[in-house]
Order: sequence, then C-alpha cells, then structure tokens
Amino acid sequence: MPSLRVLVADDEPVSRTVVGAMLKKAGYEVSFASDGDQAWQHLSGPNPPPVALLDWEMPGLAGPEVVQRIRAQDEQAPIYIILLTSRDSSADIVTGLKAGANDYVTKPANEDELVARVNVGARVIELQIALAERVRSLEEALANVKALQTLLPMCAYCKAIRNDQNYWEKVETYFHDRSGVSFSHSYCPNCYDRFVKPQLDALEDITEAQRRQQGR
Amino acid sequence: MTVPPVLDPAVLESLRQLTPPGEPDVLKEVLQLFLDDVPARVERLRSAWQSGDAVAVQRAAHSLKGSAGNIGATDLLGVCRQLDELGRAGDLSNAAPLVTTLDAEFARVQSEIKSLIT
Repeated sequence: MPSLRVLVADDEPVSRTVVGAMLKKAGYEVSFASDGDQAWQHLSGPNPPPVALLDWEMPGLAGPEVVQRIRAQDEQAPIYIILLTSRDSSADIVTGLKAGANDYVTKPANEDELVARVNVGARVIELQIALAERVRSLEEALANVKALQTLLPMCAYCKAIRNDQNYWEKVETYFHDRSGVSFSHSYCPNCYDRFVKPQLDALEDITEAQRRQQGR
Repeated sequence: MTVPPVLDPAVLESLRQLTPPGEPDVLKEVLQLFLDDVPARVERLRSAWQSGDAVAVQRAAHSLKGSAGNIGATDLLGVCRQLDELGRAGDLSNAAPLVTTLDAEFARVQSEIKSLIT
C-alpha cells in the first residue's frame, strides 16, 4: 500500500504510540491527536487524512461525536472512520456505526486485524476517489454529447457549422473537437457520376487530343 | 508453582517487532511512555475514589485498562477492568480492596519495566 495518511486519535499515549507504530510498520503515514477536539481540527481542516482511527472515550469530543460532526458537514472529503473501543457490547457498536463510523476495532488492538481493517478503509477510499474521477469525466463526455444533440446552424452551401462563439467552423473540425471523430475523405457513387467521372472524361479527351497532335 | 509473568512475553515480543529497521526500539519507547504517563492516571483514580466520584473512577480505570492491555500487564488489566465496571455501575462500596490491589499491581509492573529498560 502506498503511504496513505492515517490519523490516530487517542488520549492515552501508550495506546496511541502502539497503534501508530503498527500502522507505520504497515507503510502508512501517521499523524496523531491526543483528544477529540484535536481530532476534529485535523479532520475538518483542508486536505484531511483519508482514514481516521478514533478512540471512543476521549477528553473533549468523544469518538462518536467527532464522527457525527464530520458526517454532518456539507462538503465532505471521503474519510473512512474506524472507532477504537474497549466496549464490545453490540449496543455500543451499533451506536458507533449509527453515528457514521465505517468500522470499529476493539482495544487493545491486534496488529494483524488492525492493519487488515485499515487496508480495507484505504481500498474503499481509493475506490471512492476513482469513482468520483470517473463520474467527473463521464459528466464531461455527456456535456459534449448534449452539445451535439442541439440544433446546429449549418451553411446551406459550404456546410460549415456555426459554433457557440459565433465562428464558422468546417464540419470536420467541429465534430472532431467535440466528439474526437476523424474524417477520411472519399466520394459517394452519385458524386462520382456527377463530378469525378466528367473530370476523368475531360482529362482523357485532353490526353487523346495531345496524342493525335504528336502522331501527326 | 510458577508465578505468571508480570508482562506477557508474547505482547512484549510483538511490540519489539514493531520497530522499523535502524530506529529506536518501540518496546522501550512504549514502556517508557507507560512509566511517564500512567502514575498520574493511577493518582487520578485514587483521588476520584477518595472523593466518591464514580464517573471519574470509571474514566480513569478505563484509560488505565487501555494502557495496561497494550503492554500485556494482564493482572493490572484485570483490576482496572473491575474498577471500570464498579465505576460504571456507580457503586464504589467494594472498591477499597481493588484500589489496594491496583497499587500493588502497578508497583510490580513499574519495577518489571525498570528492570527491562535499564
């Protein structure tokens, strides 16, 4: 896993250090908060760490309260939140998950389990970011398609198309820029009979005339 | 009869294993942190108990439980767990012997740590 940033928020220095060391060993970049208010500052600021481990019981804001605040924000950066708890009654776990946490780990944390769960979080966040990027590029493509579905003003004689900037573009350029389509130039059978054949016939007549002149 | 170790050797070993190559020993760092941080928490629990504040006893016991669990101090963890439960129930009438045990257990852990890191 590349060095994704993880916040570890716990008021106990011993737990905080142990959890931090486990994550560093697994290749994560770790930052720390020693109470709920600090954690909230880290997570509500610009560019928050994408994964956060929050202790359930902390001075200031408790873990679930921090989660609630994060989830109540209008502009949400994707943050995967794991609550650290020594409470393992299912009522408490439900409370934490209802508050908006993605997962929980019971303390003292087992290294393999903790790292595996953080890895899951990292994958979810990466997927979420990739999906958001995909949606963005699809929306862009859709906007182009919509532009091609509107009524296009076209010159009745030279077939140029007037674009949004009131500039007349060649049909080829207009469509190439908006849809990536390329044109190869050829002629249809009708135009062959109407334009190409008369030109070829004329050429042949000229050659024939020249040959006669030379042969005389 | 063999006396169970004060600190679980498996936990100590796994802490030692967390040390990145070329960096200071994580086990030592964590044990030192325990020595620096935990006495104040034990003191907080004692004064909360003396003033009959069950909520504060529960809170202090809970945080001690976390620290004890992280260094494999099994017996200390057990006492903290019981104090945590008493505090949560709001009944400190049976807490006195536990506070005494806590002091004794904590002293054992402290001297064990000192022998390990010096």
